[in-house]
Amino acid sequence: MVKLLKTNSYKAISEALWQSNPISKQILGICSALAVTVQLKTALVMSLALTFVVACSNLVIALLRRHIPRNIRIIVEVAVIATLVIIADEFLKAFMYDISKQLSVFVGLIITNCIVMGRAETFAMGNPATRSFVDGLANGIGYGSILCGVAFFRELLGAGKLFGFQVVPQSFYDAGYQNMGLMLLAPGAFIMIGLFVWLEYTLLKDK
Amino acid sequence: MSSHLKSVTFAAALCVVCSVLLTAASTGLKTYQQRNILVDRQKNILIALGLIKEGQDIQEGEIQSLYKRHVQSLWVDRDGRIEPADAPLENRLPLYVQVDQQGRIQAYVVPINTRGLWGAIHGYLALENDGATIRGFTVYKHSETPGLGGEIESRWFRKNFEHKRIVDADGDFVSIRVAKGSVKDVVPQAQRPNYVDGISGATMTGRFLSAGLKEILHDYEPLAIEFRQKQGRYLRVQ
Repeated sequence: MVKLLKTNSYKAISEALWQSNPISKQILGICSALAVTVQLKTALVMSLALTFVVACSNLVIALLRRHIPRNIRIIVEVAVIATLVIIADEFLKAFMYDISKQLSVFVGLIITNCIVMGRAETFAMGNPATRSFVDGLANGIGYGSILCGVAFFRELLGAGKLFGFQVVPQSFYDAGYQNMGLMLLAPGAFIMIGLFVWLEYTLLKDK
Repeated sequence: MSSHLKSVTFAAALCVVCSVLLTAASTGLKTYQQRNILVDRQKNILIALGLIKEGQDIQEGEIQSLYKRHVQSLWVDRDGRIEPADAPLENRLPLYVQVDQQGRIQAYVVPINTRGLWGAIHGYLALENDGATIRGFTVYKHSETPGLGGEIESRWFRKNFEHKRIVDADGDFVSIRVAKGSVKDVVPQAQRPNYVDGISGATMTGRFLSAGLKEILHDYEPLAIEFRQKQGRYLRVQ
């Protein structure tokens, strides 16, 4: 077990989840974090889509890194990322149509998500394929964890539900409890993300 | 190979590979996507007719069986005469009708495809068989700005269409219009059944939608007049 903790892959994942979490530490990819976290279900699908894109784009770019001409490397990265995002979007439209309608433009916006481009340029261009793939997975998981965390609180406090299932019992509502409407709007998302960032800084500082 | 030629060759190769992958994904998944679109349209027609509640968790098979049981798709010619789906005509308009078990029409649904501010607006408007009262309105596709014009697809905006009328107190056709502001603030009492509340920050979308609805409902007027004249004696489908 201890050996597992010392492997590079585990270190990469734990780093992306904690010390350099893309959203709470690097403050990247915020716009989709605001928009799709109203419900836990959409946040989860978005996280999976982004993880797929960033892991695969890292893998492809790392495999091609010695062949990509320096002067067109950014364009090549964008082309690879865009192709993967469109493929992901097509799959969503085919097999999860209702969710793809709710996610609407935000799946396409993964192309512009700084996390994906950032990892491709700073990591995949200079590292071997498997390590890049794991790095992509790790960043995707880091992003997904914050997204689902924010969505958990937003859906619970804003609608009393989780994954669409009513969690807050009717007796609470009868006693006068009301859903926090602010959580369903963008300002509520800002506040939630801010709290997560603050929490992580505090916990990391104590180390 | 000079570095310029290498760049161009690499770029060309990348383009070919990406194109092949995208085309493969698109054509391979097309049947699934088109079926989803068809079921989504059926769901929207059923919601406009009030046969499904919005937000209700409902399976694809149930949507298709509900649709098959209650809805028929027909063509109407410019004079308002109903023709069955296989009649070939140039000037025919699509129509969906809700029929009961005796084949009597209880409501009819007009497909709305109109220009919006940023792109086309697609939806369905369901009218009662009195040819005057709106039963429901759904929007299933648009390109308006989220939060502004995009509110046309939200529940609160569309619910306002229920029980509104497309004729005025004298029985003349006036269509249904989106007011600039709240109906009870800007519309005189007598005309309120012909207006719905506007969306703040989306005046242009409201205008385009109103104009589009008027033009389309004008085309269906001969049919609507048939319904108004029957006055409770239902039209039947052969």
